[in-house]
Amino acid sequence: MSSFVSWGRRSVLLGAVAFGLVFGLAVSGPAHAAGELHIYAWSGELPQEIVDDFEKETGITVTFDTFDSNETMMAKLEAGATGYDIVNPSQYAVQILAKKGLIEELEHGKIANIGNISEEFRNVSYDSGNKYQIPYLSGSTGLAYNTDCVKEEVTSWKSLWDEKYKGRIYMLDNMLAAYIAGLQVNGFRASSTNEAEIAKATESLIAQKPLLAGYNSTNFADLVSSGEACLVEAWSGTVIQVMAENPKVRYVLPQEGGTMWVDGFSVAKGAANRDNAYIFIDYLLKPEVAAKVTKLSKIATCVGKSRELLPPEIANNPAIFLPKEQVAKADFILDAGDAMKFYQDGWTKVKTAQ
Amino acid sequence: MTMRADAPALLTESASSVWTTRLARLVPPVFTFAALAFLFIPIFVLIAYSFNASRSTVVWQGLTLDWYAAVLDDRRLRQAVMNSAFVALFAGAFSAAIGTLTALAIVRRQFPGKEMLSTALLAPIVLPEIVIAVALLVFMVALKAPLGFTSMIIGHVLVTLPFATLIMRTAAVALDPRLEEAAADLGANEWQTFLRVTLPALAPAILSAFLMAATLSFDNFVMSTFVTGVGSTTLPIYIYAQLKTGLTPQINALGTLLVIANMTVLIAVIGYQFRLRARRQRLSQ
Amino acid sequence: MRGLGRNRLLTLLMVTPSIVIVGVFLLVPLLIVVAYSFAERDSYGGVVPAFTLNNYAQLLDPIYHPIMWGSLELAAINTILALAIGYPIAYFIAFRAGRWAPLLLVLILVPFWINFLIRISAWIVLLGRGGLINATLQAFGIIDEPVRMLGTYGAVQVGLLYAFLPSAVLPIYAALQPINRTLLEAAHDLGANPLQSFLRVTLPLSLSGVMAAVLFVFVPSMGVFAIPVLLGGGKEIIIGNLIVQLFLEFRNIPLGAAVSVILLLASSLGILLYMRALRKIELARS
Repeated sequence: MSSFVSWGRRSVLLGAVAFGLVFGLAVSGPAHAAGELHIYAWSGELPQEIVDDFEKETGITVTFDTFDSNETMMAKLEAGATGYDIVNPSQYAVQILAKKGLIEELEHGKIANIGNISEEFRNVSYDSGNKYQIPYLSGSTGLAYNTDCVKEEVTSWKSLWDEKYKGRIYMLDNMLAAYIAGLQVNGFRASSTNEAEIAKATESLIAQKPLLAGYNSTNFADLVSSGEACLVEAWSGTVIQVMAENPKVRYVLPQEGGTMWVDGFSVAKGAANRDNAYIFIDYLLKPEVAAKVTKLSKIATCVGKSRELLPPEIANNPAIFLPKEQVAKADFILDAGDAMKFYQDGWTKVKTAQ
Repeated sequence: MTMRADAPALLTESASSVWTTRLARLVPPVFTFAALAFLFIPIFVLIAYSFNASRSTVVWQGLTLDWYAAVLDDRRLRQAVMNSAFVALFAGAFSAAIGTLTALAIVRRQFPGKEMLSTALLAPIVLPEIVIAVALLVFMVALKAPLGFTSMIIGHVLVTLPFATLIMRTAAVALDPRLEEAAADLGANEWQTFLRVTLPALAPAILSAFLMAATLSFDNFVMSTFVTGVGSTTLPIYIYAQLKTGLTPQINALGTLLVIANMTVLIAVIGYQFRLRARRQRLSQ
Repeated sequence: MRGLGRNRLLTLLMVTPSIVIVGVFLLVPLLIVVAYSFAERDSYGGVVPAFTLNNYAQLLDPIYHPIMWGSLELAAINTILALAIGYPIAYFIAFRAGRWAPLLLVLILVPFWINFLIRISAWIVLLGRGGLINATLQAFGIIDEPVRMLGTYGAVQVGLLYAFLPSAVLPIYAALQPINRTLLEAAHDLGANPLQSFLRVTLPLSLSGVMAAVLFVFVPSMGVFAIPVLLGGGKEIIIGNLIVQLFLEFRNIPLGAAVSVILLLASSLGILLYMRALRKIELARS
């Protein structure tokens, strides 16, 4: 009897300890200091040095994970990655996240440096008055090529459909980015929500596929630089980092327009470390910090005053800082709403085409 | 034998068949060594290029250890290694513990649904991991449970438990029940028997099960991709992101370090098994 | 009576953790996936409870045929290659390697212990435009211009074979190893030449291992998604990529669930066929 009782109690205890461990210890994860901040940022946009500086200055411990497409980030947020304080969406993702209530309306009172945002980013169409997103970096989507292989001057998306470069062309492995070229080459706007236009763009992208070496939205710049690719659809920031090392790499906005993108920081709904989130956002808006970000990432900051702190080869580089008039008339990818289905079905067709 | 030698009409045919036979006999060793080359050359090339001074992964420019310094200097990488180790430690421990209990129950005890349980436990080995990962993700979403270390550990236990259980079943079958009976005869209660006899006898197997599960967890990529959450970026997730942004010698250096680490564990396990076998042979003599 | 109850309680306690793992974290989630595959979605990726066959109907759309057939083809070719190469290796280790057998077995196993992504990245080094293979071929004057290997179907196939070859060798070895040598000698004494004794004795006895190898190579080959991205340049997408895309990019959970159910059914069918074949082999043997 006594042995039974002791056995029973012991094994129950053992079981309880085991499950307690799974759900207790595991939840806590590795030990953290008191002040924390969880960031979910674009890969390559938040230099580790900036985070280190921030930690040193504030004593806040930052953990950050990265994503390589807005879609992945939104999917994770929605799936229950609920512990992030700050996320780093692009313009259309801001619209979608706001609509779904996954990010909070910003309390501008907590952001002392908010006045430092460049004028052209204060009243953007997708988020007027910076209600949900504090613009951080901006750039464009255009074409990059290697002059070793491309002897002509490239001015149009049409070059991405040129038989000459068969097997040496890459497109961005990102649905909406690929559709920029697909739509604009047909004379449509990149933010089209028209089913027929999207269908036409889909056809063009399918027709292009035999010419492609692949889809790549991550190391396309290295591919151009090494000569593996002649011509790629490209995001400006990544290419400019490579251009500094290799003069043979060129970046152009096509005559059809290309698009602009603005990646910024938003506060996640129910952020556990809301105050730290605002401290971080405010920190990034300091001109000297923003200048350092641009110096490290070679991507244009949205903080106006920091431009004069930059060396002239960066501050006056038209590939980094687009001229104001170009910004004004630039096409943005916006939330396509119900038309998203047309894009998704079309993209699946493109990806499965032979 | 004699019959064949006495049949000259078959001579030419058998001569050619001797040659085909000789050729056929060459196939297995040739394939084996070709396959070993196929399996190992890429790894050796990776190791060689981790010492390449050039940034490019192609042009050879002389020896350097810079890429190793870069690996050790990468804070996010260190964090990813820590996260992986944390998850692997827990997933390995749970898998080994649960696997041991389950294996002992299946081998030693009778209970309804035994067949079903042992079959269901094998499911994660034969079903595509991606389906199991998707299912766990959907489950977490449906429960509105947060993604993070908890979901990672649960997912890793799910995919490593079958292996741990298999190892423990083999060990439990080999365990002589008379040992425990003897302990009981000497007046030990079940708990004491388990603690003093069964557990020590199974210890090497439990260690193997733990190492196997922890290694699988440390390298797990598919399950992790789906159920990772806040701050739980493990090493494979980090490597995948790095690979997508371009292959640098830093990845090669990291790969070399991982190869060394994995080999150390493997050699330790094998060495341990050999010593164990040698001891058993000595004992049986 | 009390002893029996206690014994039962103990058994229950021992198996509870694994029942929880398998039941709560595997079976229930799989059932949810099945349920979701009949649900609808809103335009922002939410799941709307419903009963509709639309998701499955959508998969009948010709745009999905290349993915389905392409995945089957890739997995089938990989399985055939892995068996054709893996069988002789297993045979060599089991019958001819002698005291080197344990070492060879460990060597075949070694890649299993090396991080999957690191192994794949090694192939990026080899297959690139300026990679080792191209450089070697050029140095020997076999080719003038580098050949494009990375980003092709062939690269994906090589990557898959690299990842799954050891999975084919091990089960075949396990089936070959216990075959009684005296049987082979008997066949020889009865006048069978080596090929005949292989076809009549060795091969039939190792069939269970071959079937297991098919299972261990074919099923996981279909769920792979990193290899097409890293070695195939994202141009070839297979069912694994489709699942990733639907869940982690498009947020189309119902359609993703339907694809997962199809993959699940296909693998279950494979397992069922395997078990039936195994039973037949055992019956034939007895």
